[in-house]
Amino acid sequence: MDEKEKLEKQQAGRRAFLGCLGGAVAGGAVAVTAGSVLPKQALAAAATTPESPPAPAAKAYDPTKHKWAFGVDATKCIGCLRCVEACKLENEVALDAHHFRTWVERYVYLDGEDTPHVDSQADPVNIAAAGTERDYRFSNRYKDEKVDKAFFVPKLCNHCTHPACVQVCPTGATFKTEDGAVVIDHTYCIGCQYCVQACPYGARFFNPEKRVTDKCTWCYHRITKGLMPACVEVCPVSARVFGDRNDKESTISKFLADNRVEVLKPETGNAPNVFYVGIDKDVS
Amino acid sequence: MPKHIVRLLLLLAGFAIVAITVRNHVVDKSFYKIGHYRADAVAEIAQDKPKFQGSASCESCHAVQFTAWSKSIHHSTDVGKVVKCEVCHGPGGGRDPDPGYVHAATGPVHPVNLKLAVPTDSRTTCGVCHEQIAARPLQQRQVVINDHAGTQQCTLCHDAHSPQTFNGSLVATAAPGNAVAGKSKAGACAACHGAAGITNASLPGPTLAGQNQAYLAAALTAYKTGKRSNPIMTGMAATVNSADINNITSYFSSLRCETSASIAAQAAAARKAGAAMCTNCHGTNGVSTSSSWPNLAGQSKDYIAAALKSYAGGQRSNVIMTTLAKSLSEPEIDKVAAYYAGATCK
Ligand code: HEC
Ligand code: HEC
Ligand code: HEC
Ligand code: HEC
Ligand code: HEC
Ligand code: HEC
Repeated sequence: MDEKEKLEKQQAGRRAFLGCLGGAVAGGAVAVTAGSVLPKQALAAAATTPESPPAPAAKAYDPTKHKWAFGVDATKCIGCLRCVEACKLENEVALDAHHFRTWVERYVYLDGEDTPHVDSQADPVNIAAAGTERDYRFSNRYKDEKVDKAFFVPKLCNHCTHPACVQVCPTGATFKTEDGAVVIDHTYCIGCQYCVQACPYGARFFNPEKRVTDKCTWCYHRITKGLMPACVEVCPVSARVFGDRNDKESTISKFLADNRVEVLKPETGNAPNVFYVGIDKDVS
Repeated sequence: MPKHIVRLLLLLAGFAIVAITVRNHVVDKSFYKIGHYRADAVAEIAQDKPKFQGSASCESCHAVQFTAWSKSIHHSTDVGKVVKCEVCHGPGGGRDPDPGYVHAATGPVHPVNLKLAVPTDSRTTCGVCHEQIAARPLQQRQVVINDHAGTQQCTLCHDAHSPQTFNGSLVATAAPGNAVAGKSKAGACAACHGAAGITNASLPGPTLAGQNQAYLAAALTAYKTGKRSNPIMTGMAATVNSADINNITSYFSSLRCETSASIAAQAAAARKAGAAMCTNCHGTNGVSTSSSWPNLAGQSKDYIAAALKSYAGGQRSNVIMTTLAKSLSEPEIDKVAAYYAGATCK
């Protein structure tokens, strides 16, 4: 039995144990969630065949040597939503309009109005313009209005320095890696969704298929191989910037040096690591 | 020791043993190795196979598209504006289906066991970045799709991989000829096209003066080959031998055209009403943006209207003009014709 399989079995056992415990002691939602995960877990163990052992990932990669950060230049964003599409494909996020690891908001100030109209690709009008929930597109809904000011704001998990979501996790399933990404260990997640509520940015969502919480990982499987996150890779106008702050020559270091940047909701004390240029007071 | 204390201690010891066993069973070995989480999870997450492969990976097999693309405006690395292959064609790699929580380091790679799509609806493919909508910054070139393309696909005119290069059927070239030699052969033409290539209401032919040479040459060749036909011109073109085409067309192209300025007052209104979708090719002033497309400035109103009607009616055909002309009503035709006839020549 190889390591992976052993681990899988062990986890399945542990889940079963927890499931009973939960059922006996707490009753309630936690047990239901944990219990319903069980069959899939067993399936996972069975599917790992010995002839295709997963290669031990990124041996050469040393997390202690990197400090990742992300930049967004909202003045460049053209709202094409290719980042949203690429993220969904790269990370196998459910292909419907309501589950996103990254998304884009449009802020539109109509003539004579003080508050912006905000919509994103998940807005019914925009879904109708795209034709399906699998294509992402901003509709031309303001073409007959007088628009004072309007801009797009790409959003994603802020991978905070003091992440509230990590604090509330009861199982240690979500954590901040040494190089700065906030990720989820799906084998430990029990789907309680405390973190979804704790996040002030709405960056987390519940994945109903896997019955676990899901979120942006900065494409951890790509950045550890020297690639850019999928959303940065496809952005046609370089509105998204990613890189290593330890490397003074990286695009992100230059982005931070050359621009006056701000973060979303600084008052919450989460200390985001996604830095914005060109957003407005109403963006949060 | 009193019995009940011993029992209590035994109970506690038993509880401790159970607790430690349970803990060993439940908690992963790597938990707490770095922090309050399973350290092994980091490597597991990092193990997923990337799907997007990058444009450089396409070069070796699709050199034609890659070369066209890498020289195009969609590859403006200097300003950080690059529209990658996989934005339009989808990721070049896939990942094996993920059963439950297992991360997959393997999966199909194009072209072996993954086909990539060729976009068929370019109005959508290109529209996501180029449709004119609120909030899209001005530095991004935008078009009102229905005005700009009618009901056509963008790729009918634009090359998908080099969008500022136009589709072959839209490009005509002609070697520059000798205008002096051309003048000597052009005597016969004056009867219908006017003495200096400028027509008037009593002559049947359109103005040729100042017209783009490549267009004139293409038009004459089209009459000769039968691609374009007209009871008068088909016969006339047959009398021009191929060697003379470049000379004659250079001659007419070198002449100056004239404007019938009287209609100019109508122009602004006419333009608003219908010429928006023409200006990309024929210019706002009737001077075309490509030397292979005909100038309309100073052309007679009747001829422009007649030409549009013959495109619509099928007597004359062109991949672009046919559909555009069909979309115009008769009053609209009159309006644009008046507008261009009144525009100033170059
Ligand atoms: C190893 C060579 C190879 C590489 C690398 C490669 N392709 Fe291909 N590609 C092929 C072959 C062979 C076909 C035809 C396969 C078929 O029809 O099933 C093909 C077909 C296609 C098609 C469909 C063409 C059609 O007419 O149906 C597209 C689009 C395409 N490739 C895009 C890409 C892109 C984008 C990349 C880079 C991410 C890429 N290819 C990398 C070999 C390659
Ligand atoms: C802006 C979107 C876009 C980008 C970027 C793009 N393509 Fe295409 N590609 C298209 C469209 C649209 C077609 C269909 C062309 C047509 O219908 O005339 C196409 C067709 C193709 C085909 C099929 C053969 C052909 O030429 O019709 C291949 C192969 C291909 N592309 C490869 C590539 C490669 C390689 C790159 C990157 C160097 C690339 N494409 C970048 C939109 C794009
Ligand atoms: C993912 C976004 C994206 C898609 C899809 C896209 N473009 Fe572009 N396009 C751009 C950007 C960004 C530029 C500007 C590049 C620059 O300024 O250097 C551009 C430039 C252009 C230009 C030149 C505009 C000018 O400055 O005159 C044309 C023409 C064009 N695109 C046509 C097309 C066509 C046709 C398609 C579909 C086959 C298409 N584009 C698809 C993003 C896109
Ligand atoms: C009937 C032919 C035709 C069709 C169809 C067409 N275009 Fe164009 N397009 C042109 C021509 C001609 C130009 C102008 C070239 C110039 O001005 O140098 C142009 C220019 C553009 C420009 C640059 C505009 C600017 O302001 O500089 C963009 C962007 C563009 N087209 C996008 C598209 C898109 C997107 C589609 C599909 C919805 C499309 N085109 C369909 C012929 C066409
Ligand atoms: C008997 C009258 C007549 C004579 C002589 C004549 N043409 Fe024409 N020409 C026409 C008419 C009528 C048209 C418009 C035909 C149509 O609508 O397709 C035309 C159209 C043309 C066109 C196409 C113009 C455009 O804008 O599409 C060219 C080029 C042309 N003539 C060149 C010549 C040349 C060169 C000669 C001399 C060798 C010549 N013509 C002699 C009547 C004449
Ligand atoms: C995408 C580019 C494009 C657009 C847009 C366009 N045209 Fe054209 N037009 C052409 C080309 C190319 C020809 C030459 C066709 C041929 O060889 O028959 C032409 C030919 C013509 C002619 C015949 C000229 C002559 O001398 O015989 C007229 C008239 C004309 N166009 C009017 C219009 C009007 C009016 C519109 C707007 C409704 C328009 N065009 C829009 C490209 C365009």
